[in-house]
Amino acid sequence: MRYLSLYQEGNSLLHKIDPITKLLFVIIAILVPIIINTLTMALAFFIISTLLVFVARAFKRTLPIISFSSLVIITVLFIQGLFYLKNQTPFFTLGPFVFYKEGLLYATGIAIRIFNIINAVAVLIFTTKPSDLIEALVKKGVSPKIGYVFSSVLQIIPQMMSIVDTILDAQKARGLETEGSFTKRAKAFIPLIGPAVLNSLISTKERAMALEVRGFNSKKKKTFLNEVPYNKYSNVLQVALIAILVFSIIWRIISW
Amino acid sequence: MDEVIRVQNLSFAYKQDYEVLKNISLVFDKKSTAIIGQNGAGKTTFVKLLKGLLKPTSGEIYIKGYNTKEVSTAFLSKYIGLVFQNPNDQIFKNTVLEEVMFGPLNILKDKKQAQENAIKALEMVGLQDKMHIHPYDLGLSDRKLVSIASIVSMDPDIIILDEPTIAQDHKGNTIIKNVIKELKEKGKLVITITHDMDFVAEIFERTIVLNEGIILLDGNTREVFSQQEILKKAYLELPHVAQLAKKLGIKQTLLTEQELINFLKHNKLNN
Repeated sequence: MRYLSLYQEGNSLLHKIDPITKLLFVIIAILVPIIINTLTMALAFFIISTLLVFVARAFKRTLPIISFSSLVIITVLFIQGLFYLKNQTPFFTLGPFVFYKEGLLYATGIAIRIFNIINAVAVLIFTTKPSDLIEALVKKGVSPKIGYVFSSVLQIIPQMMSIVDTILDAQKARGLETEGSFTKRAKAFIPLIGPAVLNSLISTKERAMALEVRGFNSKKKKTFLNEVPYNKYSNVLQVALIAILVFSIIWRIISW
Repeated sequence: MDEVIRVQNLSFAYKQDYEVLKNISLVFDKKSTAIIGQNGAGKTTFVKLLKGLLKPTSGEIYIKGYNTKEVSTAFLSKYIGLVFQNPNDQIFKNTVLEEVMFGPLNILKDKKQAQENAIKALEMVGLQDKMHIHPYDLGLSDRKLVSIASIVSMDPDIIILDEPTIAQDHKGNTIIKNVIKELKEKGKLVITITHDMDFVAEIFERTIVLNEGIILLDGNTREVFSQQEILKKAYLELPHVAQLAKKLGIKQTLLTEQELINFLKHNKLNN
């Protein structure tokens, strides 16, 4: 079954950690720097998540995302460096433009936080099969129906793409021109979308029946096909991660 | 020999370094041809290449002299028609007649002529009484006949059928056999992919066995079915009649029931 996913097979340490732990890490890597709003904390998490990207051997695949968002970050650097409200100390000049220290620092803070989030999410999605993540969530008590909705969306998109490809071939085989001027393409739209919609309606009905005969709506407690042996330290890790979150909240309240 | 299709050193790969078809050279004349082989042998890929839906990774295919790399699939559809396995991949009109007319309208532009062709094709597959029904109100086997009619109505010189006998009962099978015979009489080249060996034995003059991207056997259907050892290698069975004949200890390769009956009658007289 084809899946819409960025997961890549591998055997790094992070591939062996269970999905929930990784998901917890993502949440904490995003929340803690917000709760304790200092540049040091942001930097600390940025360093941790960057290290994890390397441990997961996902740097090459993360790089395109990083470089794409760098485009946005650079404009932030420019705008804040030039126009930040608290700008006082000039840092350097570029032609007629004066960049200020405060603005640049502020923008750097934003950049570090964004890269931190990207890295943390990258660690999760590059080392976790979506189906494993969903199954883990269902095991934790998420409704199987919601789990099914997520996993079927990930499956249906590639499936529909391949159906559309076959339809395209079948209609081309009957002399339908699909390339060329705009009117030609517009005319080709209905012969393509018609069977695609009908096919997906039919398969939805059939899928619903197939699920039902296999007891999808059964109220009994469900068992799972895969008992994935994850790292036995995952419980320890999870407790540690939650502890970090709790500590950061307490810290914030005390230091108010 | 009328050369209709020429395939020269054809290789094709979907992914780099993984060739589905390896250096195939073939010439098709007007002899009706069956392509058989295991799933994944490259049969559907091969006919998609003939049809121009895929372009060769290396090598050339000439359909009536046109190189498939140089002309569009829509242009080729005047000369070569391909009936897909699943009729649901193409049906979108509200009536059977309109559905069948879609192809001819694309290449003819003359509505009257298109309608005439469509009606003729529907008569050929025995659906003339169901012309104004919505295609989805028909069963799968009839829908499959609709998809065959919608290619036949375009009147190409070459017609390729991909697994036409799937989901057909005896009646449907007979209709398809008759359609193929009729097309043969009209001088058209019919190429069929199938897993039904009895169907191959009964209808087709030439048989090509594909196995892992190469041609294992190619020739007269009777000659092909007499190479039992090679067929076994491609995990193919003999037609039922031939199997029965073998069990009866008959050395000849018999292909149809009639042949077997005649053979037995003749031998009884001799004994």
